[in-house]
Amino acid sequence: MRFSLEIKSLGWAVLASLFSLAGAWLSIGPIKGMTAGGPIVSAETSTEIMPSAQVIDEGRNFFGQSCSHCHGDDAHGDEGPDLHNLAISNARIATTIKKGIKGEMPSFAKKYDDRQIAELVSYLRTLR
Amino acid sequence: MWIDPTLWPKLHGASTHFPVALTMTAALCDGLGLAWPKSSPRKAQLHGAGYCTIILGALGTFPAVLSGLFMTKGEAWGHGALLYHHLFVWPAFALLVGLGLWRGLVGSSPSPRSFAIYMAVLFLTAGLMAAAGYWGGEMVVNS
Repeated sequence: MRFSLEIKSLGWAVLASLFSLAGAWLSIGPIKGMTAGGPIVSAETSTEIMPSAQVIDEGRNFFGQSCSHCHGDDAHGDEGPDLHNLAISNARIATTIKKGIKGEMPSFAKKYDDRQIAELVSYLRTLR
Repeated sequence: MWIDPTLWPKLHGASTHFPVALTMTAALCDGLGLAWPKSSPRKAQLHGAGYCTIILGALGTFPAVLSGLFMTKGEAWGHGALLYHHLFVWPAFALLVGLGLWRGLVGSSPSPRSFAIYMAVLFLTAGLMAAAGYWGGEMVVNS
């Protein structure tokens, strides 16, 4: 009797798991629609400063020199991922550019100084 | 309608710790309950606590997952630390919902054989939650 209840409950539990996952995944489309356009910020980097057009142009140049090869000319991804609407903070982007990702992306710490990386980050932030 | 852009990160931070802590507590209480002598009333109390915490933990996953999806603007996988976070989050989410519902339907004292399997899956889920929390923390620390 008890074992039968446990088996029946297992069936419901598996169904609930699948429905929860499906629900979460199906909600992605509407969430993308509702949140499209705005910036993605982390709680730690809520202050956004609009960089000048010159800074963004510099960043665009650096992108063309070092990033477009892997991330595509339009930054929509090629060998590397799409860089539009990055879901990480500016500091995190800068750290990734500086340190690279082991086995995936080289470090640019020797090629660009902090100011240049900040310009590159400013450009990446315009990609929405 | 204007929404504070830091709302979702704050809500995710506020909501995500509940299911993590409750799952760990459920594993701890039920694990201790298994080790406790049968004659002791403490054994039933520990399993009772494990029963309540796993159900609350399962319920707590929904606001955590939803706020996370809003925070990342519907990004289900991502890359780097976010990808690692999601690789652990999705199976943990599914398992936790299943565990919470199963325990809720069966009650606080299932048969020993079923409970042994439940405990194995619970420890696996607690491990997945810990790993998901670790990668979530990596994103915050390195921000």
